[in-house]
Amino acid sequence: MKYTDTYIKLADFGRELLQKKSLSEGLPHIAKYAKDVILARRCSIYIYNSENDELWTTLADGISKIKLNANKGIVGQTIRTQKPIIVNNAYAHPNFSSAVDKETGYKTNNIITTPIFNSKREIIGVLQLLNKDEGFDEDDVKFMIFFAHYVSGFLELITKYKITKSKNNEKL
Amino acid sequence: MKNFDQIAEFGQKLMRLKNVEQVLELISDKAKSLVDADRCSIFIVDKEDKILWTKFSDGLGRIVIALDSGVVGDTYSKQKSQIVNEPYDDERFLQNIDKQSGYKTENMITVPIFDSKRNVMGIIQLLNKFRNGFNEADEEVLAFFANYVSGSLELALLQEN
Repeated sequence: MKYTDTYIKLADFGRELLQKKSLSEGLPHIAKYAKDVILARRCSIYIYNSENDELWTTLADGISKIKLNANKGIVGQTIRTQKPIIVNNAYAHPNFSSAVDKETGYKTNNIITTPIFNSKREIIGVLQLLNKDEGFDEDDVKFMIFFAHYVSGFLELITKYKITKSKNNEKL
Repeated sequence: MKNFDQIAEFGQKLMRLKNVEQVLELISDKAKSLVDADRCSIFIVDKEDKILWTKFSDGLGRIVIALDSGVVGDTYSKQKSQIVNEPYDDERFLQNIDKQSGYKTENMITVPIFDSKRNVMGIIQLLNKFRNGFNEADEEVLAFFANYVSGSLELALLQEN
């Protein structure tokens, strides 16, 4: 398994992550780590809002904010199937949406996605990597699943804390 | 913010630990203090041998039970938390363990820990909450807590193998 060393070093990453106090600090940290380990060119973490079936991401390396309808694209398919997806020829895939590429001018060649679950086993987000030179494989999927689970506690904690905080603010 | 900091601090501490025993011990201590319980055991699923084992049971040593036995076994098969506030009236309850240890179980909560593939890899069992027994608020806190520690626990178990 090509990620053996990575698993061992994951705790170092985790300790740094837990020092981040907000999504805007934490998400870039997660994205950078995922990209560096899997050797992909870009990473986006989509946060899922089940109330309006929408996804948003605050970071996609240079693109400030993207909002997506959760029934569109490969990320949308990840939400529906609740399973990781590899697409090594993006433009040939029937579910691929080129809308984001058009907006950013960045061409997607291949994609890997994995759902992020909370403690109730509901989807709270999708981790997506783009453009690995040799394409994505099953080892990448295995690591992504493990990694998404590993960071899910941090994401849930921060989301929970934010929600409580904004509710309290409303009361004031 | 106080709760957030406490959990984040606990998480950092957890990620500094090198072996499974230490990880289980720290998780047990934190779980107990979260819900004011007297004892905690974390059972780990061994699918091959169809058993649940716990290395840490606050002085009781190691316990091995069949994958389908007791309230813990039922938590495994139902994949759901169980609150048992009258254990001696519950037919799933294993009275033998109390008899062997001399420790009387007054009430109990069990919470599944899911791995990254969403299979149950372990069960947190807490005994004897002071006063009124366990409630749904405890269940909610512990479900969150179980997910929060699951990544570290999975990593520790992986490294041990």
